[in-house]
Amino acid sequence: MKLYISSDMEGVAGVCAWEQVDARRPHPDFAIYRRYYTREVNSAIEGARAAGATDVVVNDAHGPMRNLVLEEFPDDVRVIFGDRKPFSMVQDADGGFGGAFFLGYHGAAGDADAVLCHTYTPSVIYELRLNDIRCSEATLNAALLGYYGVPLLLVTGDRTTVEGVQSQMPWVHGAIVKTSIGNRAAASMTPAAACRSIRREAENAVRDAATAQLFSLQPPIVLDAQLVTASQAHLIATIPGFKRTSSRSVQFTHDDFRVVFKAFVASFRLGALA
Amino acid sequence: MNLYISCDMEGTAGVSSWKQCDPSDTHEYPICRRLMTLEVRAAIEGAREAGASRVVVNDSHWSMRNLLFDELPSDDDLQVISGAPKPWSMMEGLNAGANAAFFTGYHAKAGDAATLAHTFSDAIYRVTVNGTACSEALLNAALAGSYGVPVVLVTGDRAIVDETIRALPWAVGVAVKDAVGYSSVNSLTPQAARAAIRSGAREAMGRIAQARPFTFEAPFELTIETAGVEHADFIELMPGFARIGSRAVRFGANEYPALLEAFITATRIAAAADA
Repeated sequence: MKLYISSDMEGVAGVCAWEQVDARRPHPDFAIYRRYYTREVNSAIEGARAAGATDVVVNDAHGPMRNLVLEEFPDDVRVIFGDRKPFSMVQDADGGFGGAFFLGYHGAAGDADAVLCHTYTPSVIYELRLNDIRCSEATLNAALLGYYGVPLLLVTGDRTTVEGVQSQMPWVHGAIVKTSIGNRAAASMTPAAACRSIRREAENAVRDAATAQLFSLQPPIVLDAQLVTASQAHLIATIPGFKRTSSRSVQFTHDDFRVVFKAFVASFRLGALA
Repeated sequence: MNLYISCDMEGTAGVSSWKQCDPSDTHEYPICRRLMTLEVRAAIEGAREAGASRVVVNDSHWSMRNLLFDELPSDDDLQVISGAPKPWSMMEGLNAGANAAFFTGYHAKAGDAATLAHTFSDAIYRVTVNGTACSEALLNAALAGSYGVPVVLVTGDRAIVDETIRALPWAVGVAVKDAVGYSSVNSLTPQAARAAIRSGAREAMGRIAQARPFTFEAPFELTIETAGVEHADFIELMPGFARIGSRAVRFGANEYPALLEAFITATRIAAAADA
């Protein structure tokens, strides 16, 4: 089975502050935590391979999307590295994959007890909904996988994130590596214990892949985004096809989910300029 | 008579370099914003002498808060649109209620051998509508045209004035300077430029009866060639844009305002690629 991994960093065991995960403003902690992050991804690969996964593609999905310590990976893994990918956290997920993992994921903007929760761009996106379903990054990304026919098999991160995904996609295996205490603290497993748990759940997830379902949205797909500020909505509403639904919200509708996904990426890139 | 004025800065007499036009500059910009303001004032005065009453001035340069209110007329019939970003950018506030439009301080399009030539942003290498290469003046004139509003006065450097008058032969052009190079000009003095603009504005008001709204024919097709591949990458994210080359995108619309809005938004998201 070909496996697609989208890996984020905020949901890695021990992580509870931006300094630990911010490659743009290097803090001594970043060098430590990028290794924990890499090890969690590696553990998931090991578990998946123990259950029969063959080709593995890892998309470093944590901005600036070049955080993984590549020399710690097995030689036969492909890595998608670098930012500004049009499909961002789920770039190149349409290559005939039998399943996907979301590792190190975090809560949606506005989630209580979810360390570093946000939805793509914290300064722009206040809340995202697709067909009136409240979306975390995992929800949005899983919908693109669903469009491609790829089922989500495993999610790892804090309790709020994992349980949030499982409430929308009950077939997804989860490895809860920490319980968030508000937005900047967590009761966490040690990195080593988290890796063991992730390895075990990855193996179970691939073994149970036949029972996984697709998370797909029925067209027409309606994207509703609430923005942090009115000036962001003002600018985003000028993207072709977008309409302003209130002072701080916009809506976009299209039948093709790929168009919706790219439009969302365009909206937060433009919104960041407002 | 209701008059709409979109005023830019690069085409002001005496202006030859970006430093003069950059609001963060503390030496040359304060001088040039005053020159810009006084040219706008000359256009308003000339128009009023020929019958204009209500005037809306849209500050259309950079931060879009360049005009010095103390140097403008202070009557109740003058309205000034300031600040950025504005969805319609250089044409914010234009609607069918205007009888005519003036473009002052305009400059040549990206790629022209002319002073400070560009089209909205340095990320734009070339823009066409229905196959015609467009300057800011032409893009904006077509928006005015879609509301039935004719452009009757264009002031700026000779390159933009001559090109625009070829497309809008009913309009009055006031060329306040010739390009020597990208950052050098052979210019009228500011005083002479103001006198020419004032008299051109008077003449332009007399042309309104025979002037025509400038329009492209529907359906409208926009192509944008970008300076870098990264700019096209970002524009292509937006619905309706098709990638037609590594540095080129296309967008189609049945209504011209939708096309111009898409273009303006494209220039913004392209700027995000430089962030």
